[in-house]
Amino acid sequence: MISNYLGRETWLHRMPAGAKLAALAILSVVILPVDDWRALVAALAGVVLLYASLGKEAFKRLAMIRSFAVLLAIIAALHLLAGTWQEAVAAVARLVMMILLADLVSMTTTMQAMMAALTPVLTLLRPFGLNPRKLSLAVSLAIRFIPVLSANWEARSEAWRARTGRRPSFRLLGPFIADTFRIADHVAEALDARGVARSRRGGREWG
Amino acid sequence: MPDTVSPYLRFDNVSLGRGARTVFDGFSASLGERRVGLIGNNGSGKSTLLRLAAGLLLPDAGEVFVEGLETKTHRGELPGNVGFLFQNPDHQILFPTVGEEIAFGLTEKGMTDAEANAAARELLAANGCEGWEKRAVHELSEGQRQLVCLLSVIAPEPSVLLLDEPFSSLDLPTRLDLSDRLRALPQAVVMASHDFEFLSAFDRLLWLDDGRVREDGRPATVIAAYEASIRGLKTARRA
Repeated sequence: MISNYLGRETWLHRMPAGAKLAALAILSVVILPVDDWRALVAALAGVVLLYASLGKEAFKRLAMIRSFAVLLAIIAALHLLAGTWQEAVAAVARLVMMILLADLVSMTTTMQAMMAALTPVLTLLRPFGLNPRKLSLAVSLAIRFIPVLSANWEARSEAWRARTGRRPSFRLLGPFIADTFRIADHVAEALDARGVARSRRGGREWG
Repeated sequence: MPDTVSPYLRFDNVSLGRGARTVFDGFSASLGERRVGLIGNNGSGKSTLLRLAAGLLLPDAGEVFVEGLETKTHRGELPGNVGFLFQNPDHQILFPTVGEEIAFGLTEKGMTDAEANAAARELLAANGCEGWEKRAVHELSEGQRQLVCLLSVIAPEPSVLLLDEPFSSLDLPTRLDLSDRLRALPQAVVMASHDFEFLSAFDRLLWLDDGRVREDGRPATVIAAYEASIRGLKTARRA
């Protein structure tokens, strides 16, 4: 299963997961009201420097932003239509920065550390009858699956291009969703085999 | 059928349907040998039998006992007693790094993260994979990933290992390396495979055909019968 985790340890790997998640949350909130495009571009440059500080392999990961190209272009176009180019630059820079920062955290944090950081926070939900460890596993798995799903979409698009010579179409959506369910089934079975969620009785269809 | 003293795995009149298809209808078998192989065509029920033994599937009728534990009533206790190795390592591996993948089964057993990580480190070192704990799983080769899966499964020290065609996607050198490791395991092993060379050293083979035991006994006899039947079918088709 593909993941975006960086195998070679960097200084950011050694930072506690809780600090990284808190910093990500705080930065996201701080960035939101800023609308000066120069400040945002400068901050984005700072994030790029952060990538550079993690070595060549991390720096190459910046290219992943290309998969957001269409979305970013649409956002820029909407801003250009409704407002000024400064607003368009600011909106795109803000979004790119948030994506890159989130990716930095998942690139340098193990799932175990993520779960350990989330569990105390999620313990607050215990009065509602929720198991914090299972919940933190679920949240971490959801984050963990973003690269898996995007790799799966890429693979399908590639197959489509190889056989049609055309750009991927919405018709890929059906098989992509079916595939996603299949992956979810495998994960459920893997968790089951390792003893997670064995409290309930009864089996699950495996296919 | 060879005599089995104190079986670790017992199927008692088990029936199971998957969708519209009936896989097993009143299947009974009792396994007590250290090394048991399952052979048969794809779709003959090998994987399903292993999944029943791991409690991943529960019988519609009848009972399955693992180390005396009935799988429907003792589902929660099974993962501590049986380890299940999937055919495709990517279907098992959940975590991005090797260390946490191996530690996961241990924390599920009640260890703290720190204890589990230390145990994972030790297990890796003992298996010639010193310092692997921080490596990203997706950067490993297919064979290395399968090895990580095996170590994750044996880490909680189950007494029975269920292996679902663990060699199917491996190249020859990795297959031989994994075979050596499997041979050395102290656990009882039930393994579905098409690797007759490896299975020939087993204590007992079951040939499954359409959810029934077609032949049961020493590997040489069972393999010969299976191969003869396949060849017979081919000749019959050609004639």
